[in-house]
Amino acid sequence: MNPDSPPQPPDPAARIAQQDEADLVARARGGDRAAFGVLVERYAGVVRRVARVVLADPDDADDAAQDALLSALVKLDQYDPRRPFGPWLLRIVANAATDRRRRRRVRRTETLDPGLVAGGTRPDTAAERRALSDRLRQALAELPERRRVAVVLFDVEGYSHAEIAAVLRIPKGTVRSEVFHGRRRLRVLLADWKEDE
Amino acid sequence: MNQEALPFDHRPDPVLGAALRRALDPGDHTAFVARVLAGVDGARAAVGTWDAVLARWARVGVAAAVLTALAAGYLVGRATASGGAPAIARASVADVLIAPRPQTPEVEVVLASVLEH
Repeated sequence: MNPDSPPQPPDPAARIAQQDEADLVARARGGDRAAFGVLVERYAGVVRRVARVVLADPDDADDAAQDALLSALVKLDQYDPRRPFGPWLLRIVANAATDRRRRRRVRRTETLDPGLVAGGTRPDTAAERRALSDRLRQALAELPERRRVAVVLFDVEGYSHAEIAAVLRIPKGTVRSEVFHGRRRLRVLLADWKEDE
Repeated sequence: MNQEALPFDHRPDPVLGAALRRALDPGDHTAFVARVLAGVDGARAAVGTWDAVLARWARVGVAAAVLTALAAGYLVGRATASGGAPAIARASVADVLIAPRPQTPEVEVVLASVLEH
């Protein structure tokens, strides 16, 4: 994490403890299956979420996430241990998901229902959260791919602008802009939801 | 939610982040991890296979290059031996300086030449 990294989100589960990460990577590179297993357990959440942001379909996303993790395993000798492992891995994940989406040429995301975005009929049942999640996924699907990945890496995973820039290979200023525009769209949705409550 | 946030806010939005996390979390990480680990051997084997393929190609390539070089050497040697006139090489300055003189003029001849002039 860079020195100018932002405060962490309240749920820091996705922020990976890095003190022994270099050791784990070195062991995994040497063929230690258990060490690779620990890395997979640590990163499974963020890897699957990032893949899902790109692909929308959860099964496709899990396939891409698995491919990316196994691809990372065989590319471990290319990893520079002086750099943080997370952004390196997530770049592989984002590329794998994007490649898969391009190959499929079919986006299984539904178009955003304007009624939902505008805060239409809200189910007042225990399924409220699920409904909100559906809305958010649909709203995310409307954003350009790079923008939604940037928002999720920043607000969900707690990565800094610099780290996201490394993942997406774009300038830091562009990351700021993408996060801003993505958030603006999602915050409107969330505000509507709050007002309905 | 941080509604008062500046456009380029440097801080993650905890409410938005939590909502997005819930929306994107696929759940059942244990099964996913098991699935990935089950693919480890296959991934490594695939790499091993590719390495073997590349190594085989490399061996074939080296053998082909050696054969080509030998054939080229044979053809050049044969062409040279079968009679082509050797090319007249232009002598370099070093060649001229190093080469022995065919005959050194005798002192008397030199003196006679000087006296005549």
